[in-house]
Amino acid sequence: MIENVWTALTLLTSWKLLLTIAICSIYGLFIGAVPGLTATMAAALLVPFTFFMDPLPALVAIVTMEAMAIFAGDIPAALVRIPGTPSSAAYTDDSYELTKQGKAELVLGVDVVTSAIGGLMGAVILMTSAPLLAEVALTFTSFEYFWLAALGLSATVMIASASPLKAGLALLVGLFFSTVGLDITLGYPRFTFGSTELLNGVDFIPAMIGLFGVSEILRNMASAHLSYPITSVKAENIFHGVARTLWKYKANMARSGLIGTFIGILPGAGADIAAWIAYAAAKRFSKEPEKFGKGAIEPIVDAGTANNSCLAGDWVPALVFGIPGDSITAIVIGILFMKGLRPGPMIFQQQPQMIYAVYISFIIANILMVPFGYLAIKASSTMLKVPRNILMPAILVFCIVGSFAINNSLFDVGLMLAMGILGYFFEANGIPVAPIVLGIVLGPILEQNFMVSMIKTQWDLVQFFTRPAAAILAVLTILTWLTPVYPILFRRFVRSASPA
Amino acid sequence: MKISDTVVGAGFVGAGALIFTATLNYPSLETGHPGPSLFPRILAVLMVVFGGLLSVQGIRSRDATEEVAWLRLHRNAAFLNALFVLGGVLAYIFLVERLGFLIMGSLVIFVIMWRLQVSPLKALIVAILFSNGVYFLFAKVLRVPLPMLFRWW
Repeated sequence: MIENVWTALTLLTSWKLLLTIAICSIYGLFIGAVPGLTATMAAALLVPFTFFMDPLPALVAIVTMEAMAIFAGDIPAALVRIPGTPSSAAYTDDSYELTKQGKAELVLGVDVVTSAIGGLMGAVILMTSAPLLAEVALTFTSFEYFWLAALGLSATVMIASASPLKAGLALLVGLFFSTVGLDITLGYPRFTFGSTELLNGVDFIPAMIGLFGVSEILRNMASAHLSYPITSVKAENIFHGVARTLWKYKANMARSGLIGTFIGILPGAGADIAAWIAYAAAKRFSKEPEKFGKGAIEPIVDAGTANNSCLAGDWVPALVFGIPGDSITAIVIGILFMKGLRPGPMIFQQQPQMIYAVYISFIIANILMVPFGYLAIKASSTMLKVPRNILMPAILVFCIVGSFAINNSLFDVGLMLAMGILGYFFEANGIPVAPIVLGIVLGPILEQNFMVSMIKTQWDLVQFFTRPAAAILAVLTILTWLTPVYPILFRRFVRSASPA
Repeated sequence: MKISDTVVGAGFVGAGALIFTATLNYPSLETGHPGPSLFPRILAVLMVVFGGLLSVQGIRSRDATEEVAWLRLHRNAAFLNALFVLGGVLAYIFLVERLGFLIMGSLVIFVIMWRLQVSPLKALIVAILFSNGVYFLFAKVLRVPLPMLFRWW
């Protein structure tokens, strides 16, 4: 282990990697701080560059960018009452109310430090749990992998979405896209309409850029000329009073760090859900729940810790099983496949130094978050003044060239546009886009393991439940499907238990 | 771009039916079991079921989305801005091999900025500088063969 850590450290100290970390930190902070641009969009736009990088710098780039972007989303939440990313939405009202009371510096100081602490907690849990789970995963066969994929997809639909029906439809669309191209059993071309470009399937990268980049641009077109009043802050004062506040709420931080990481480990649930759940838990256990939403620092500590701790948690299922924890790790899995690496337990044996380097990059990114975050807060008024009517057309050209760069094909630019329109239309009608990505990534895993299992058992479905691990995963999947029934059962139980 | 859940659900039902129909001619495995058609058919059936449920939900909740609003989209500034984005990408796809990246990239940025009320001179300067920056990054650093009509550097 020590040898692997040492090798990973050596890899991470190359000047190219340090430069990658610095550039991606600034990139993540900028995207996160600009309202309307999300961390997932930042990851999608980063993918064309990772195509030209070695696997390790590509992964480190994503780790650094996402950590910084999720924190930076707190800056506009506090200063202009618009969350920079959905992960900051849970505590935007509290942040802005405190800003109106003249406490913007304290809010931003708490934001940056809790983000760093949450990220470090998540990284420690990732480092300890991933290798243990990888040992277990080594015994998995196609049955377990089928159920894992099914569990991940079910959790995306049933837990991580406000409308399971709409999320289910989005997922089906993603799964359908995954069937385009040559099928795995007979090599028969499906839904290609005679196009040679579609024989290899719907290319992941233009699809990502379209779904998260172009659709965001289309959405921002409604408000591209708007500007907002920005509260200026003295960055020098942001750490005043932070230590006292965090000491007061140390138990909250510990609880929310655990909640965030656990939510992250759940396939399909991301940082925004972690923040909302930590917020709800904080309110439940708070001595002053009536202050929540009206300018309380407590929910900022809780949700701010949870959303960053969730990021490392998201990587656990992605690295160990190849099942993405959220849309960003879905992109990570796409990058790994693009690099010829198959995420799963074997990667822990074949590329341990790379896994350790990813762990360490989480720690580096979260430590760097404090100084970089300080600089971002110092530059916040400048970043928030970047006019969106200049930014959006520029990002569009970036999307076009990024889509083209992978296969040097204009077909991919058309695919990106089609996905952008689809993403925009879906979001406008309350249909989430993230399940489409998970469907595209997990579709082949689900179908391949299902078909392999069926063929090797001569179409005996019972075999899917006979192995203990497969049976446990199957039960968990079925329990996930039954999620909407639990509140009804709980209400009935309470009614029957209460005296008439 | 909001339309009622009833209509969206019906759209999914139609899409599911189309996917199912498209798989009817797919070959089976040697054992006679379904092969390439199995997974898409399951998805198609689920799409029809979920789409149908969404339609029913829309009818039950008396979804008040105004369908006639679609007829007034030509007066909606955000929609027209979005059309400029779509038109820009389509123009890029069809013209970039004739005009090259630098001209098309600059043109797309300039036209959309102009539409978004950026002054023409500012839009022109930003468009030229940014497309040259993207050209440098992708064509020179990453060696992506961007279509070029001419190269001045």
